[in-house]
Amino acid sequence: MSKAIKAEFRKFFTTRLWWGMLIAIVVAGAALAALFALLFTSDTVMRGDGMGVPTSDADLARTAFTSGIGVGYLLTLAIGVMTVGAEYRHKTITATFLAEPKRSVVMGAKTILLLVVGAMYGAASLLASVATGAAILSSRGHEPFADPEIWRTLALSLLVLGLWALIGLGVGILIPNQVAALLIAVGVAWIVEPIVGAVLPLSEIGGSIARYLPSQATNATLDIQTVGFGGPVTDQLPWWGGALVLTGYAVVMALIGTLRTVRSDIS
Amino acid sequence: MTAASAGTPSQSALGGPTPAVDPTRGRIEVRGLTKRFGRFTAVDHLDLDVVPGRITGFLGPNGAGKTTTLRMLLGLIRPTAGTATIEGRRYHDIPNPLTVVGSALEATNFHPGRSGRNHLRVLADAAGIDRRRVDEMLELVGIPAAASKRAGGYSMGMRQRLGLAGALLGDPRVIILDEPANGLDPDGIRWLRGFLRHLASEGRTLLISSHLLSEVEQTVDDVVIIANGKRVAQGTVDELRGDPTAFVRTSDPDRLASTLAGRGLSVARRDGGLRVTTNDLAMVGDLAHAADIAIHELRSEKTHLEELYFTLTDQDQYRNRNLGDAEGTGPGGPVDRELGQLPPPTGRPVERPQPPDPDGASGETGRDGTTVGDSAPTRTARQENGS
Ligand SMILES: Nc1ncnc2c1ncn2[C@@H]1O[C@H](COP(=O)(O)OP(=O)(O)O)[C@@H](O)[C@H]1O
Ligand SMILES: [Mg+2]
Repeated sequence: MSKAIKAEFRKFFTTRLWWGMLIAIVVAGAALAALFALLFTSDTVMRGDGMGVPTSDADLARTAFTSGIGVGYLLTLAIGVMTVGAEYRHKTITATFLAEPKRSVVMGAKTILLLVVGAMYGAASLLASVATGAAILSSRGHEPFADPEIWRTLALSLLVLGLWALIGLGVGILIPNQVAALLIAVGVAWIVEPIVGAVLPLSEIGGSIARYLPSQATNATLDIQTVGFGGPVTDQLPWWGGALVLTGYAVVMALIGTLRTVRSDIS
Repeated sequence: MTAASAGTPSQSALGGPTPAVDPTRGRIEVRGLTKRFGRFTAVDHLDLDVVPGRITGFLGPNGAGKTTTLRMLLGLIRPTAGTATIEGRRYHDIPNPLTVVGSALEATNFHPGRSGRNHLRVLADAAGIDRRRVDEMLELVGIPAAASKRAGGYSMGMRQRLGLAGALLGDPRVIILDEPANGLDPDGIRWLRGFLRHLASEGRTLLISSHLLSEVEQTVDDVVIIANGKRVAQGTVDELRGDPTAFVRTSDPDRLASTLAGRGLSVARRDGGLRVTTNDLAMVGDLAHAADIAIHELRSEKTHLEELYFTLTDQDQYRNRNLGDAEGTGPGGPVDRELGQLPPPTGRPVERPQPPDPDGASGETGRDGTTVGDSAPTRTARQENGS
């Protein structure tokens, strides 16, 4: 297993994908943190008392620091899709399975790679957004680390990005065409699923389902207030519930992908 | 007709210190191997034996099922039936397989953005092979300069060499290459030939597929020919080639026949001419001249192997079989009928047979359009490398 893991890491760090993604994730983290920190500390918004607008120092910090995670998980989702999609597209999967014919071992190695890479990108994203956000907030007289629970949120962000990468892994296997898989995965996660999540709470049953959707589970994990068309969602899962639900999605997708891979012919 | 008995070199070359050599060592054994893709049978009850110290050519027209067979052997495709083992084990069951079996399938299997060296390093990591071996292999196959360039920019020949380097990375006893000569220029093919010969001389087992007989005929010791997923011939190249023959047409066949027979040549009559078991056209001409017999035509004939292969590749029904209707491809289809008529692997070459029934099942054209013996140009190439 350790040989397979080593090979997966070398694969990941020997194409341009990793640093392209790193740049994107860091830039998004810094830019969004700056945007939200400036926006929510501006006079107009502060006076406006709009729904879902953070007011306390703790909420301000949380919003600014985690603002890059939304883009970050879309990017690690894409990384997950490409980790396996590129292997099928360029047929390097043949060499991979020739070196390690136990395909579940290969899939296990990819899972570990994606969790580590997710955490790594999470750390990079947070570094950028915390540095930017904290600088702006404190310059405007807010205390960035008022609530110690912010550290739990930051730690869980690392996990969240890894879990989304695993969801991508499953999608990449289930949709063999890499480009299609990327478009569908990102399109659903970015647009379709959040809209469904925003519409569902308009009905009572829908609301209880909506909190189990991946994006809302992600928000719950990070203690971010989800806002739907009906206003802020009140019955969000607790942070650990959200983490469990999201882990469930990741495990199911990675398992489906593994089963598919173990059975399929490589030709 | 076991090819192995003829010239298996000393098994000690790779044997190491163990005196009692495992009888399955370096052997590939395929039994009743079958693969169906839906209703389409790509490989059909195939038997195959490959022995160490020799190069076995795995020949067949495009779509014959070569790649599918090799992929089943390497555990990439699950057989519908039958077994394919290397040293008595399925590929899955070989611990750290790259150190036992090296293989290169289609030469396009590289990430275009990864350098050749990094491609090999990934493999080395996966098999726990020392990284130094990567640069040694790049050197060995002659692409050290390209090693740090992205593989997407490699020529076909460089890809083939990179694939070969990957196959040799684990210093394997068994080497399986799918169409390794594809995309190589004549120099490259010559280089490959010497390289493979060297590997075989070290006692390794080599299984090499190709859809071109001419590409590998001079490289391989043994030949397995498949068509429509079925084996149609297996033997040594020498056996399958048969004796070289010349065809001569003359004004006085009786006298020429006795003249040639008097020189110990075996002569048979055919089509108003004679076929002589020799590759020495000059001698036949000289003898006729000395006996004052006029020659109207004198040429080398195709070897049995060439003719056999020609039959397989020249006819539509053996190519693109998945494009036509599937009717003729099942058991008892045209393969059985047609190839049942082919001459035996050894002995006197004969004319390509006519189809037994003119209303053949597939009804495809061009089956009997040509008569091989008469339309084939004089085979000067044969003379050059004959004897
Ligand atoms: N995955 C597949 N699904 C359906 N048909 C296939 C598949 N792989 C190969 N074939 C068919 O099986 C036949 C044999 O293919 P292949 O083994 O690649 O032949 P060769 O390598 O001898 O050219 C071809 O007709 C090909 O179209
Ligand atoms: Mg092929």
